[in-house]
Amino acid sequence: MTTESFIHLAVEVNGTSRQLSVRADETLLETLRVGLGLTGTKEGCLEGECGACTVLLDDEPVDSCLLATAAIEGRRVRTVESLSTGEELGRLQQAFLDHGAVQCGFCTPGFLMTLTALLEHEPAPPPSDIRKAIAGNICRCTGYRQMIEAVVAAAGGDEVQR
Amino acid sequence: MQFCRAETLEAAFEALSNWGADGKVLAGGTDVMVQYLHGEIAPKALIHIEGIHALSAVSTQGRTALGALTTHRTLGSMPTLVARHPALAAAAATVGGWQTQVKGTVGGNLCNASPAADTLPPLLIADTHVTLSCVGGERRLPLGEFILDRRSTALAANELLTSLDLEPLPEGSAEVYVKLGRRGAMEVAVVGLAVRIGFSEDGVVDSARIAMCSVGPVPRRIPDAEAVLIGSKLDATVLDAAGEALTAAARPIDDARATAAYRRRTLRGLLGSAARQCQEQVQR
Repeated sequence: MTTESFIHLAVEVNGTSRQLSVRADETLLETLRVGLGLTGTKEGCLEGECGACTVLLDDEPVDSCLLATAAIEGRRVRTVESLSTGEELGRLQQAFLDHGAVQCGFCTPGFLMTLTALLEHEPAPPPSDIRKAIAGNICRCTGYRQMIEAVVAAAGGDEVQR
Repeated sequence: MQFCRAETLEAAFEALSNWGADGKVLAGGTDVMVQYLHGEIAPKALIHIEGIHALSAVSTQGRTALGALTTHRTLGSMPTLVARHPALAAAAATVGGWQTQVKGTVGGNLCNASPAADTLPPLLIADTHVTLSCVGGERRLPLGEFILDRRSTALAANELLTSLDLEPLPEGSAEVYVKLGRRGAMEVAVVGLAVRIGFSEDGVVDSARIAMCSVGPVPRRIPDAEAVLIGSKLDATVLDAAGEALTAAARPIDDARATAAYRRRTLRGLLGSAARQCQEQVQR
């Protein structure tokens, strides 16, 4: 008989301190979706290629599908659920809607988190920096242009010339 | 499976001694977690070393010293590293996306020993040595002796790769990393080539180092091609001859990204382009 050992740790998730009990091989993606019911973060490729599962770990975007929850004791996690307040969308979320940057929507939470990190690091990024920042996120619907326009708008910049 | 959180080097060495080959060192996890989740490895314990702060130290006094936990993000963006190791910085900035670069470490990239490891060619042309440490002491090896074969290294089960030391780009030299891929983001190299060339004041090549990845089981330097460049001014005939030596040394395979024949055909052009870029940078 094998006994599974659980690891106990404290992690801050979306501003709230959570006491977690996880398996050694449990990913942060699983902890968020199954353990904490935060299903905004999506499971895509499960190998760090698509960025659908992107969350912020201490203000940097990471693929939560490749992160062992046991490895993030005491650290700060933010998910897409942190971007809105009740029914009120965050600025970047609203800009995504206004610019048609959401089609099927599956990749959207990951893009929003990467781009949230970008805007925190660089409040008015030029389109070239936006493109570089989202190299690790894949969208098969939009062609990315609408997202870049949304980021520029959310940053308060001029409209991107088509 | 157990999860061992090592916060000090001593704790890591103890865990490595206890678990031996059943333990797998976990740093950023961008390779280890993929391999675990795909069932390619089945360790009894993950030994998590990311909390050992001493392993993130970077020193730029004399030879550059990089702690094994130095991330690709740091390699690609820290100004002193970008200035001393431009080819390494360029290579690190092409490894995965932002998400991968903030987690993936240079030590992890070496221990993973992928034939396509982007950091290896630029590290090889910087005369990199690695330090392997264990309870009893440590040893220092040239990088070319550390990587033994595809996904195989000289690291013993009780050892931890703790640091690397590199020769910074000397005055009068330039280096570049050129990567051939398919889409310009999230790329595994079809071919990766790092070149460092030193020039005398009258523009004659007095030193040359060339290393490549994704064209054989192990990224490595190609002394035959290096020798062709020395004493020349990089004329077309010299570059052709060096390209031929490079092509002769390549042992590529057909895979999902490209055929072996295609990889061979690109080497001459990539070398010519890389050498010209070095020449232009030094003349500027």
